[in-house]
Amino acid sequence: MTGATNGHLREITRRTALGALGAGIIGATVASWPRLTGTDIPGRGDNSLSIAIMGTAADAAARQRAIDAFTRLHPEIRVKVQAIQAADWKDFFTKILTMVAAGTPPDVVYVATEGAQLFAEKLAHPLDEFVRRDAADMREFFDDVHPSLVEAFMYKGSLYQLPMDWNAANMYYNTTAFSQAGLERPADDWTHVDFRDSLTAMRKARTSDFTPYYWTNRLFGGVVPWLYANDTSFLKETRSTGGEWLWDDFYAKDPSRSLRSGGYQWLEPNADDDRVFESFDYLRGLVKDGLGVRPEEGGGGSLVGLFASNRIGTTPAGGYWVQGLHEAGMGANDFDVQFFPRWKTQRHQFGTAGYAIMKTAKDKDAAWEWIKFSAGREAMELIFPNPITTPARRSMVNERLYAGKGPAHWKVFYDTLDRFPTTGPIPAPPQQAAVETALMKNVSLAVSGDEQQLKQALGSMQRDLELALRRQS
Amino acid sequence: MSTTTPPRQRPDQAARRGRPGAAPAASASAATGRNRQRWLPWIFLAPTILGMGLFTLVPIVASVVLAFFRWDIISAPSFVGFDNFSEVVQDPTVRVSFLNTIVFVVVAVALQLGLALALAVMVQEKMPAWLRVFFRSAFFFPLILSAASVSIFMRYLFNEQFGVVNWFLSLVGIPAVPWLTTPGGSAAVVVLVYVWQNFGFSFLLFIGGLASIPVETYEAASIDGATGWRKHLHVTLPLLSPTTLVASVMAIINALQVFDQPYVLTRGGPGDSTRTAVMVIFESAFQRLEFGQASVIGVLLTLIIMAITAAQFRLSKRFVFYQ
Repeated sequence: MTGATNGHLREITRRTALGALGAGIIGATVASWPRLTGTDIPGRGDNSLSIAIMGTAADAAARQRAIDAFTRLHPEIRVKVQAIQAADWKDFFTKILTMVAAGTPPDVVYVATEGAQLFAEKLAHPLDEFVRRDAADMREFFDDVHPSLVEAFMYKGSLYQLPMDWNAANMYYNTTAFSQAGLERPADDWTHVDFRDSLTAMRKARTSDFTPYYWTNRLFGGVVPWLYANDTSFLKETRSTGGEWLWDDFYAKDPSRSLRSGGYQWLEPNADDDRVFESFDYLRGLVKDGLGVRPEEGGGGSLVGLFASNRIGTTPAGGYWVQGLHEAGMGANDFDVQFFPRWKTQRHQFGTAGYAIMKTAKDKDAAWEWIKFSAGREAMELIFPNPITTPARRSMVNERLYAGKGPAHWKVFYDTLDRFPTTGPIPAPPQQAAVETALMKNVSLAVSGDEQQLKQALGSMQRDLELALRRQS
Repeated sequence: MSTTTPPRQRPDQAARRGRPGAAPAASASAATGRNRQRWLPWIFLAPTILGMGLFTLVPIVASVVLAFFRWDIISAPSFVGFDNFSEVVQDPTVRVSFLNTIVFVVVAVALQLGLALALAVMVQEKMPAWLRVFFRSAFFFPLILSAASVSIFMRYLFNEQFGVVNWFLSLVGIPAVPWLTTPGGSAAVVVLVYVWQNFGFSFLLFIGGLASIPVETYEAASIDGATGWRKHLHVTLPLLSPTTLVASVMAIINALQVFDQPYVLTRGGPGDSTRTAVMVIFESAFQRLEFGQASVIGVLLTLIIMAITAAQFRLSKRFVFYQ
């Protein structure tokens, strides 16, 4: 028997015990070294193309069929998708920046409009050379994708991402609540006054446990669509020069060619504009009269359930809601969608997302091959088999995608771009995080009190935005 | 007897003094033992010292250094002298967040300690053992929950339109309260959620403190004619003062660093009404990528925490009684 002498167990001395403890610590450290150094993270330490997306492990797994198809085409490129869970895009970008600081950035990142200019300014590699090189392959993609989505990813004349999916702030309405209030489907060109009348009718029909208009305080679907409809915004919108290489080559015959530019720029605050005041005052009136809620900050996670249980009459959202409402038990005719009400204009707000190649990417050609493949019809159909978003390709927004799920007027989603070509992206300069904080922190105050409080809140917003735009500029 | 007994000497001491009978072998062994006694404590302390150095001292020093630089993670840091300090001091959001934090600390700590003490006294009163165990567990339970999860849950409870809290209020005819969308309401909810989640720790400290008060002291007080309230006022509170000091020091330090509850519940809003100092550090660093300014705010907060804690210990000389 090991350790036994003369039939007795050998006494374990303190020295032996300490030695064993030390050996144990060293052994445990060696065993856990891959975890300590992060080399056990998939894709790290090998030549795989690492792709970061916002989502869960299930979202990453859902991309596996696309990865498999890509691997068949490019067996020499190994792809690893890393899903990063985050409450919103701002949190996701924070995590990506932390990875950059840690010296472990991914090669490719799925970036939404909210971060497009931050990445273009600091982190991403332009796609111009690749698009020009593979122009023949890319022509079919651009033919199928509205130029507004592409322009949202132009920054100072260069293209940084290809739009994969997008969502406009359309107006969802509960058909049961509408019919209870004796309302018909609103007209395509309904106005903000018509909208208010509809809310009033719903409020009269259902006095309790029901909210005619529910909205959240955030960049997408909050106050911004109302500002856009009133032909204004909280930031002054300008355009960069450049980008002709893309527009002349791929969109020369597009009716909206003359509108296109080298990308949007938001350089100055505009919260002191009269129309901004007017728009906020309209929303303040809805809150004051019990037609709309005070907007809550954060995402709209709980909204689907509330809407599906017939407790909300209307709310702004994009095509991403359809699958959620279907899963929450809503039938295809229980809800519908219409364009956002018009005011001075009927310009809508949208957000889009696509892959960006990081400047630090080891193999940019491989990264581009992934992006090009993902923009193809086959990959997009694998990644977006359900209406969890609006695909960037017009041809994919079809009867088949919405069959049995609704809404009846699903064509509204892509028509938002086709019928209103001035529809614009979320205002998101490189200082987006600071800008969003400045907006959100003043919106609730602006719409929750009297006129004086509204003026003070807008004054505060103007100051905060000045500070936000001055920083990091 | 004890006066005539020679003081005991350790063998190594005897050997050093050349006492007869101190064998050379024994002397060598004693020297080894002495050496071991010198470095052995350091071996046991090493992990802690290493941990403190790596994860406490280095970040503190790094923060102080970083306070003089402009750094956005991506670009190389650039030295800006005291620019970050002046920008932080002039930033109204920072000023409001510090004011909010101080007000929060005063209200939340007072409620936390008051509630914990009251419930600890209640649980220490005569009651079946199983009930005592139940209350102890129940009051401590919120502390082990994730603050973020609790706050998400509370968001639903306090929703103005569809929250359970307003539903209960509606049963007694109280109209819906805009808990999370008005400055007063959101501040109240943040304090409420924070206190509910954190009073369990103070409660446990008070339970321990109460258990250490000798029963004889209460009996003596009773003989002197003290009734229930007077006993608590003149016996429990003074004898519990060392525990109260520890509980208040820890509660204040924790409250000064409050982040999870206001961040998840209200994101600091509406306006800046629930924005706290740590939240501004997070926003400056990880959302605006101004690590220099975040460091300045962090350093200021650290100094405030140190000053308050020092003041507490200084004042404790007057108000804390040891048996």
